[in-house]
Amino acid sequence: MRPRFTAAVVLTTTAAIALSGCTKKNDTDTAASSGSGDKTYKVAFVPKLQGVPYFEAMNAGGKEAAAALGNVEWLYQGPTQADAAAQADIVRSYIQQKVDTLIVAPNDPDSMAPLLQQAKDAGIHVATADTDAPSSVREVFVNQATAQGIGEGLTDALLKEMGGKGKYAIVSCGQTAENLNAWIKVQQEYTKTKYPEATIVDVVYAGEDQAKATQMATDLMNAHPDLTGLVGECTSSAPGVAQAVKDAGKIGKVFTVGLGTPQAMKPYLQDKSSSAAILWDVENLGYLTAWAGAQIAQGKPFAATNNVSSELSAVAYTEADKMLLLGPALAITDQNVDKFNY
Amino acid sequence: MTAVAEAKIRKRVLPSPVTGQEVVLVGVIVVLWAALAVSTPAFLTAGSIQPLLVATAPVALIGVGMTIVIITGGIDVSVGGAIMVCSVLTAKALVEAEVGLAVAVLLSVAAGGLLGLVNGVLIAYGRVHAIIITFGTANLFMFLGLRIFGSGTVNGIPGTLAFFGRGPDGRTLGVPHAFLITVLLTAAAWWWLRHTAGGRHFFAIGGDAQAARLAGVRVQRRVLSAYVLTGLLVGLASCFVIAQGTSTLDQSVGAGKELAVIAAVVIGGTSIMGGRGSVLGTLLGALLVQSVASGVTQLGWRSQLSDLFVGIFIIVAVGADLLRARARRNR
Repeated sequence: MRPRFTAAVVLTTTAAIALSGCTKKNDTDTAASSGSGDKTYKVAFVPKLQGVPYFEAMNAGGKEAAAALGNVEWLYQGPTQADAAAQADIVRSYIQQKVDTLIVAPNDPDSMAPLLQQAKDAGIHVATADTDAPSSVREVFVNQATAQGIGEGLTDALLKEMGGKGKYAIVSCGQTAENLNAWIKVQQEYTKTKYPEATIVDVVYAGEDQAKATQMATDLMNAHPDLTGLVGECTSSAPGVAQAVKDAGKIGKVFTVGLGTPQAMKPYLQDKSSSAAILWDVENLGYLTAWAGAQIAQGKPFAATNNVSSELSAVAYTEADKMLLLGPALAITDQNVDKFNY
Repeated sequence: MTAVAEAKIRKRVLPSPVTGQEVVLVGVIVVLWAALAVSTPAFLTAGSIQPLLVATAPVALIGVGMTIVIITGGIDVSVGGAIMVCSVLTAKALVEAEVGLAVAVLLSVAAGGLLGLVNGVLIAYGRVHAIIITFGTANLFMFLGLRIFGSGTVNGIPGTLAFFGRGPDGRTLGVPHAFLITVLLTAAAWWWLRHTAGGRHFFAIGGDAQAARLAGVRVQRRVLSAYVLTGLLVGLASCFVIAQGTSTLDQSVGAGKELAVIAAVVIGGTSIMGGRGSVLGTLLGALLVQSVASGVTQLGWRSQLSDLFVGIFIIVAVGADLLRARARRNR
């Protein structure tokens, strides 16, 4: 009796979900076809996680763009942890809300691709920002800097301190993060060609856990006593590697650079445990993201060079990979760190 | 009953000093450390072992409370959320109110105790299984923590808690304070659980709560105290977490720590069914897990291998516990 009852419940639920799925799709189709003329475009952005300064700064830029453009409603919601499943739920809810443009910074590009397809099928314009999902149906990728620019920026900043030679290691975060892996690849190739006397001895993955990144950096220094450089590949490991160097009393012996947000890196830039943070203007990235979302919602094509705002007067667009490029990477040091309030 | 007779009974029912797992764990750790010392020369140096012990401390310390909770037949999956609340509160107090070391520790411990009290009251008097209650409060605590974070990180945390940290201020005669405190509290808990009637009541409750009640154990009060104790330890451990993090605290703090703690307890030989367990085993379990993580990094192996090893340890430890239980039944 019991199993049969369960089976019945499962069947009914599945049927209900399948049915409601069909109705919803039809609804969206009609809404999309009738939604023309003067209107406010809903541009939704789903960051990797909410509540970290990086994405909050992007959000601030997006809000600013929405206010400047006038016809955009900027929606922003992300998971509280960098979790692909939780992010997928938020993306689904935006698909249900029938936003005009859905922009995602995917935690896991591969699992996000089918969801973006689903959004497109529902008549929603889809894009990626900050992190790409290359094998998806996204119409544009808003790129903060090329992998080349960041990878080379990190390598040059570190090797300048290391005197162009020596051993260094990378403390990365999520093992499946597309952008981090692309940067690491550039760092490996660029180091090999430009700094033949330098070697990357190891790449480790600490997740988003600061304490773990710090401990791993400590372990790397112990495993390689002749190590003179460490790279913190994301905003949680960038201060982590600097803290490890500071705790081990190796400031000036082991140099670090990282992808860190300015305010988090400030104490380390000041005590020299971190030589430089490589980043870009995150608020401008948010601004460009919202602008791009509005463009594709209105069906306007991108020019090769776009005048977005007074600060973003010449944003390049490449048709081949459908990519908007914010600009070159920015080196943040103890000299200019106070210019950024995030 | 005379005092002599009581003493006799006490001696007779005294639980064995160890569960049997500790000896195995000491062996595994010795072999592992020896292997690592041979393969990576820097492993057995102060510069490597000291940070390893510091990193072990928070999990091992919370593990003391978790062991007692699991001995009573309960579990607490809310410690990760509780770490978040305690550490963000304390970090904010350090940055905004510039409180001193003692105030920061007291604040964190008090906050942790309060959260533990919420768990304890609901579990002891609500008569719902602990996993349900603490799963609920885990989410509540996370909500509370995120509200205190308020969409931002806590930046510029001063070095007030360096006493518990990885740096030179965190050691006396080469011994990290955080680890020393953990060892002392573990030893105290071990003595309490083994040599006092109150401590042994936890085993009685985990063995058979109904029988314990009939024998005069105040079951609810005991269960409540186990969760409050865990909360207090979470508060102290949160200070360790802040001290060994960076000058920035973000919302990933505490995430997944409940599983790390439960893993240490289970690897330490405490029966997940309750009634048997040892805080010494938990300390060794936490030390083993951290040694494996550090070893994998130092050997230059892939980071995810440490997850694999911890998984194997858990399964082996649970298997060993089941075999011991079966052997006891057949005796």
